[in-house]
Amino acid sequence: MKKLVSGNEALAYGALHAGVKVVSGYPGTPSSEVIACLLEMDLPGTFVEWSTNEKVGFEVAAGASMAGHRALSTMKMSGLNVCYDSLIGVAYSGCPGGLVVFVADDPGVSAGMCEQDTRGFAVMSDMPMLEPCSLQEIYDMTIAAFDLSEKIGGPVFLRLVTNNSQSHGMVEIGERVKPAESAPMPPYDPAKYTKAGAAICMQQHKDLIARLEMSERYIEEHGLNKLALGKKGGLGVVSVGIANGYTIEALDRLTAAGVDVSGISTLRLAATIPYSKGQIDSLLENCSKVLVVEELEGFTEKFCYMEAYKNKLDVKFLGKEDGTFSRIGQFDALLVENGIRAALDMPRADVSLAEPPERLCAARPIGFCAGCPHRGTYMGLEKGLNACGYKKTDVFITGDIGCTILGSCPPFDILWTELSMGASIPFAQGVAYSGIPSPVIATIGDSTFFHAGIPGLVNALQHDINMLVVILDNGWTAMTGMQVNPGTSQEFQKESWRRLDIESIVRGIGVRQMWTVDPYDAGAMADATEQALKASGLKVILSRRECAIQAARRKVKYPEITFVPDSCIGCKKCINVTGCPAIELSGKIIAIDGMQCNNCGLCAGVCPTKALRAAG
Amino acid sequence: MNRNFDIYLVGVGGQGILTIADIITLAAADKGIDVNFFPTKGMAQRGGFVKAQLRLGREPGSYSPSISPGGGDLIVSMELSETLKAVRYGKQGADYVILGLRWQPTAVMLGKAPYPDASQVLGEIRRAGGAVHYLDPGELPEGMRGNLYTLGAICAHSKLSSFFSKEDLERIISDRWKNIAQSNIETFRAGYSAKTRAE
Repeated sequence: MKKLVSGNEALAYGALHAGVKVVSGYPGTPSSEVIACLLEMDLPGTFVEWSTNEKVGFEVAAGASMAGHRALSTMKMSGLNVCYDSLIGVAYSGCPGGLVVFVADDPGVSAGMCEQDTRGFAVMSDMPMLEPCSLQEIYDMTIAAFDLSEKIGGPVFLRLVTNNSQSHGMVEIGERVKPAESAPMPPYDPAKYTKAGAAICMQQHKDLIARLEMSERYIEEHGLNKLALGKKGGLGVVSVGIANGYTIEALDRLTAAGVDVSGISTLRLAATIPYSKGQIDSLLENCSKVLVVEELEGFTEKFCYMEAYKNKLDVKFLGKEDGTFSRIGQFDALLVENGIRAALDMPRADVSLAEPPERLCAARPIGFCAGCPHRGTYMGLEKGLNACGYKKTDVFITGDIGCTILGSCPPFDILWTELSMGASIPFAQGVAYSGIPSPVIATIGDSTFFHAGIPGLVNALQHDINMLVVILDNGWTAMTGMQVNPGTSQEFQKESWRRLDIESIVRGIGVRQMWTVDPYDAGAMADATEQALKASGLKVILSRRECAIQAARRKVKYPEITFVPDSCIGCKKCINVTGCPAIELSGKIIAIDGMQCNNCGLCAGVCPTKALRAAG
Repeated sequence: MNRNFDIYLVGVGGQGILTIADIITLAAADKGIDVNFFPTKGMAQRGGFVKAQLRLGREPGSYSPSISPGGGDLIVSMELSETLKAVRYGKQGADYVILGLRWQPTAVMLGKAPYPDASQVLGEIRRAGGAVHYLDPGELPEGMRGNLYTLGAICAHSKLSSFFSKEDLERIISDRWKNIAQSNIETFRAGYSAKTRAE
């Protein structure tokens, strides 16, 4: 049946139709909706989970695959960096059950992070990587990826980009196929499933390369690539994945502009890796000029150069190497149209405006939501620093991934770094070793702490580092759209899942200097900061209150703050200190937007005239 | 007749701009018209830049989700300043349906940063060859949702009406929120008959 779904949902439905047994991963924009939508469904016989991190998630899926089941692991590109150590090991060993690794790249960086081209991992690990373009292709290629994985006996990547993973449209979807209830004992085969010995490892390497060659044949036999040869000696266009759509559209635009494109040869690839040697050679032999259309890095293009050299073909290439296309940012059909125009020695289609309209646009910095508990943590932190005689700019404070990083935005401007999940603590440790003239503080959110923060905390504790770690625990993996993590309250954990308490974990590790505070009480946070900075050794402050958005969704009500307009002197301190979007200026005094305000009371704490008053 | 129709929508989080795109998507699905709806939410839950790209009536699988610069047939905005981010995506002659609400960033509110006035924004659109249909935010009736009001105006002032009748969209809106169908339809109709100005 036809169903209106997003690209990520199409992938999830494809996995269900393929009979998937285990789906595990970690949230990351733009990949999160695969597991998010599966968790909403009743799927007896299939296990779906948010794992603590991508490495754990991949290992869970790989285990199910070793037992012969089909399994899917999901992540954004940064997550692939996290799980790669295990991934390469499984790629060498191979796996009996279909194992698909879904990774979403973000050309154009709409979500924030390194603009990395994950295809490089496919090159490095000799793993096939299918790159669907349309929503229907996403569904179909998900099923194909499981089949391919079982055909070759190794894991297969499925790569989407923001553009198609986040799109919504109609997709023809089949019924879910229920996976088998149980599995026989997995094979006992240390030569395949361990890395104990050089001979074993080199045999596995040989098998890995053979699997990639098999996948090249599979892709060709199943017609996943589309080769259409045009005029001999004319122009050829090679495109891959999402760029196939841009290219078809660009050719349509040229046709609409009266350009005859019928002689152009095209090769639309469903995968960069494995390189489709036969079809690329056919195109190169037919064309004198070849335009290679791929977002981010020029993997396909470089392979084309090599094939032309090997086959002694005199082909002029246009792509990244000659500067026709950039390695940065997202493509569009106009960009590709102009690439084709350049190849045909035609003038560019120019739609640029004399002056960019955006120059007049008001800057709109991001910041904390109204009622966000993190606001109180950073307000209290700064107040505590002040009490110790420091300005906030005097103190080195690392940030980490997630909503907590918004402490780097106005009016807080208090975080110096954002690196990768969990890096805030070890990064701060290195700075602490360096003997800088200031205290060193690391900040980290709850999900990030579980993900990769714990090893860093253990390390800092073992080595007796004089630093403060602030854990901002709002009970949710919030920035990626409110996923459950190990610390989320029990009522949101599925049936048999169990909540873990960060305070017990930190104390259990052996941290002795620990304060647990409520961030809505910025004074308590300030006191804890002051005490912590005056003590030596490793200190932890756990600043804990549920995300305001999630609390509002389940109708948590806080006692109303009152605003007495006559007492307001218009000093704007509440706006300048809290940066709360629920406070507006109304003439010379302030006004509270009741639609946004959740009565957290943090503004009342800074009002010098008690015009804003917290209840009680 | 060329059946391709591309819509570029902008606003800020919390206005419900994506709901406009959602309703049009549902209407297209309902009529069997090919549609791709690509929302971009950014990092802020509320008050951050939000955009959506809607592509209607194309051959399935023959295009990408992104609208090229200079390719949009219809531009929709619910925040005056953010309109400027969409202007480069409008065709010569594209319709611009704008509800001129102002969500001022803190720095603007404090008088530390500039905010464009309506004449500047509309001037940019005219220079790009666009046809302005500006809805005065002061005319938005108290308690009515700006997004469905804007959708009503889109229906009245753009070529979207060659795909969907007023009744088509009203039916989708009623089915979407059954409990408040009546007030939503009133909002939609208020937008449909709202006065717009070209400058």
